[in-house]
Amino acid sequence: MLDHTADVGFEVEAPSVGELLREALRGLLLVVFEVPPQGDGTEERRVELSAPDLETLLVRWLNELVFLIQGEGFVPVGVEVEVGEGLSLRARLRGVQLDVERYGWQGEIKGATFHGLEVVRRDGALHARVILDV
Amino acid sequence: MGTIDFERLSEYRYRIPRQGKMRCDAVFYASERILEDLAAEDYASLRQLMGVATLPGVVEPALSMPDIHWGYGFPIGGVAAFDPEEGGVVSPGGVGFDINCGVRLLVSEITREELEERKARLADELFRSVPSGVGRGRKDFRIGRPDLERLLVEGPSWLVERGYGEPEDLEGIESRGRLAGADPDAVSERAYQRGRPQLGTLGSGNHFLEVQYVDEVYDEEAARAYGLHPGQVTVLIHSGSRGLGHQVCTDYVECFLQVAPKYGIELVDRQLAAAPVESPEGRDYLGAMSAAANFAFANRQLIAHFTREAFARAGFGGRPLRVLYDLAHNNAKLEEHGGREVLVHRKGATRAFGPGNPELPERYRRAGQPVLVPGDMGRYSFVLAGTEGSMRETFGSSAHGAGRKMSRRRAKKAARGRNLIREMERMGILVRAAGRATVDEEMSEAYKDAAEVVEVTDGAGIGKKVARLRPRIVVKG
Repeated sequence: MLDHTADVGFEVEAPSVGELLREALRGLLLVVFEVPPQGDGTEERRVELSAPDLETLLVRWLNELVFLIQGEGFVPVGVEVEVGEGLSLRARLRGVQLDVERYGWQGEIKGATFHGLEVVRRDGALHARVILDV
Repeated sequence: MGTIDFERLSEYRYRIPRQGKMRCDAVFYASERILEDLAAEDYASLRQLMGVATLPGVVEPALSMPDIHWGYGFPIGGVAAFDPEEGGVVSPGGVGFDINCGVRLLVSEITREELEERKARLADELFRSVPSGVGRGRKDFRIGRPDLERLLVEGPSWLVERGYGEPEDLEGIESRGRLAGADPDAVSERAYQRGRPQLGTLGSGNHFLEVQYVDEVYDEEAARAYGLHPGQVTVLIHSGSRGLGHQVCTDYVECFLQVAPKYGIELVDRQLAAAPVESPEGRDYLGAMSAAANFAFANRQLIAHFTREAFARAGFGGRPLRVLYDLAHNNAKLEEHGGREVLVHRKGATRAFGPGNPELPERYRRAGQPVLVPGDMGRYSFVLAGTEGSMRETFGSSAHGAGRKMSRRRAKKAARGRNLIREMERMGILVRAAGRATVDEEMSEAYKDAAEVVEVTDGAGIGKKVARLRPRIVVKG
């Protein structure tokens, strides 16, 4: 988690793009919930996305997740991601119904921003930093 | 990153001369203490202001208000005007994610003593009546898609026609709650989906509903014009365009990032993504932004209606809550300044038109536009008036609030082991909140002292102090 005066950010590190997106989901859930749901979800959603670069893919991914949680009341807990050519992804999400009391709702996310956004490959791993407007 | 070059122009006014890729000077307002805050964040927000000055068609100078703090793209507290005839741009990052987020002040003739007698009951009624948002919308208010499209064009007048408020409410809303050019077709399906269940909800974060009383009047004449006097109970509603506006910003930042190169716009920060006002993309965004703005005005209208219901249920039936003013602090509007029509972006800054402006309701025309500066939930908020100085120097703009100085994480850490709700109760302030996290994050200490911001605003002549309001009940999303 990063300190930003007005908002919340996080940094994630992973060996592959797929893992990076999974970690980003974990980061998002930690921002939104005090006690994020765990285990296997009973519902399923599929998401397909593509982007011109890795940074945009990360922002689009997070905004997709924000929409699922806040717009549809579906909280993804498990994800399988396939990243194809040209930065296109297909994800199968398993999740649970949003329960604000149970998971300790910490407030809404307005959107993932391009501000200070960074995805770099360093020492064989991908490092990403993203700031969310809350 | 080290210091930046700026010079002092007068007691509270500073200039960053044009340098690097800047197309004009930047001017900011600060006291010694605010300067220290800026230095402590390594001038990150002033660097953002310098970034704003690099955008095409910017009209001199790019500005920031005394409540400046780090945002994305534009700093929060940023004001910039762009001339469409000079290739001037519109930037969603110059408006913010929460389009037309703003404040509405309701005034009553209820006294502080009367309030104290029923305070707990009123706090409970307000918390029950005004939903915060996700999973907590009012079951008795639903809006269908065709009606929502109409509301995006008509704003709160659509609600007033259906009994959610009084016709005179509209008089007290900036632009009468209806920005021209709203285009429901420029709003994405996803924005409709996010926004539809959220009309009439407060939201989380720094949004709140506060019952207060007037504890000090600084300018008798303006206070009289606004109908304010000591001991009187007021209600301040701080909310915005909810998921609908957030999604419009998300959609158009992405769109503008793609088209900016086509228009030769070089971006020093991707969140500054922009397109010419006079371009298909620029016009679409302005249409969607105006629609989201009308949604935000309507949202505050519905919350005001729920507030009136709560007051009636708490035993204040028949005691009117009049709209003193409703104004936004996140929008972009075409206005005339210096004899030309420019698009003024105010991001975390508020419109502050001076005396005589024909945009203002007749009753405020002599005093100038009411400017509402909410503070943190523990100390005080202020009512100011727009001035000739704000018209001359800041494209008719002023500060919008206290401004954060502590990250949410640091605030939570500072709140550990404390019971802020009880601490506030001991100060005579009742807090009703959806969760403890928001209360901790929004603690008073996390914010700059609004009095400091107001002193600079008043001292620099870009707003005039009228009255101070003290909180008694705080409802948080």
